Amino acid sequence: MIQRTQNPFDTLREIRAFTRLTLDGRTWLLPQTEVQALEMSLDIDPEVRTPLGVGAIAFEGEWWPVYCLSSELRLLPHIPAGRRICPLLNNGADRFSLVCDQVETLVGSSRLHPVPACMASRNSPIQALVLLDQGLGCVTTTESIARLIATAEDRVDA
Amino acid sequence: MLENPPKDSTAWILTLDGALRAAVGGRELVYLIEAPTLLDVPLSPPYCRQVLVWNENLLPVMDLAAYLRPGKPARRTQTLAGVFAYQAKSGAPLAYGALLLAGIPEWAHVADDHASALPKQPAGWRALAISCFKRGDDLIPILDLPYLFTGGLLATV
Repeated sequence: MIQRTQNPFDTLREIRAFTRLTLDGRTWLLPQTEVQALEMSLDIDPEVRTPLGVGAIAFEGEWWPVYCLSSELRLLPHIPAGRRICPLLNNGADRFSLVCDQVETLVGSSRLHPVPACMASRNSPIQALVLLDQGLGCVTTTESIARLIATAEDRVDA
Repeated sequence: MLENPPKDSTAWILTLDGALRAAVGGRELVYLIEAPTLLDVPLSPPYCRQVLVWNENLLPVMDLAAYLRPGKPARRTQTLAGVFAYQAKSGAPLAYGALLLAGIPEWAHVADDHASALPKQPAGWRALAISCFKRGDDLIPILDLPYLFTGGLLATV
């Protein structure tokens, strides 16, 4: 039997709703189904730390590590002013939160554009681009961000 | 009359910045955009940080002057974007990409006997060009657009 594996871009095209995260003015989009809940940054306990995190949030009896990313998804050691909302991201395998400026649901269908081949390195977390009224949105996934965080943590361990 | 006259081709000569010139085939330049609206794409290479919207598609915008002289801002008094057509491989459908330019491209006839070695500097020409020709005192590298727009440079930086 021939098994067909769908490429990540085609999989994303089937997603009907995205959540829009704003990080220092830049828009990142994640599948809405991967956002389990929203918490306030005031709820972060800074004493519960992972190596590169800024604290953790207690939700449904578990600690969710919280990370702070720059507009280009670099891990930041401190939370910049204006970051207030923490979407709790969960894809079934990875579970963590990001401190964001804003979080909202993208209303209406979005046409996804592939990242041009000359712009994307093999490990880029950007899976697609979306043209929005306010500029460009970068589509990523919880898995891609988790991989990026794990790579940075491995570098620290080494 | 010559028995075997030199073969003549057409080309567009592109001004990449105040000093750098390159050429593409006469059919490769398809559109010119004055003062283009450029949109930043994070995590992209320094010579290709932006896209533009053209015919409802997002095209990568390459700044080859930034590639050839990394760390030095390109010297341009005006910014144009040229839209170029290429085929990723023989028989593939046409695809498009854009290059930042500093001036209106110039149409030229190029004969086979104008062929020349690539300029030694900047060294980056070796990655960008498939060949080169001489025009007066200038050496004009001919860009390998399929290589550039399909990500060939990603392995070189």
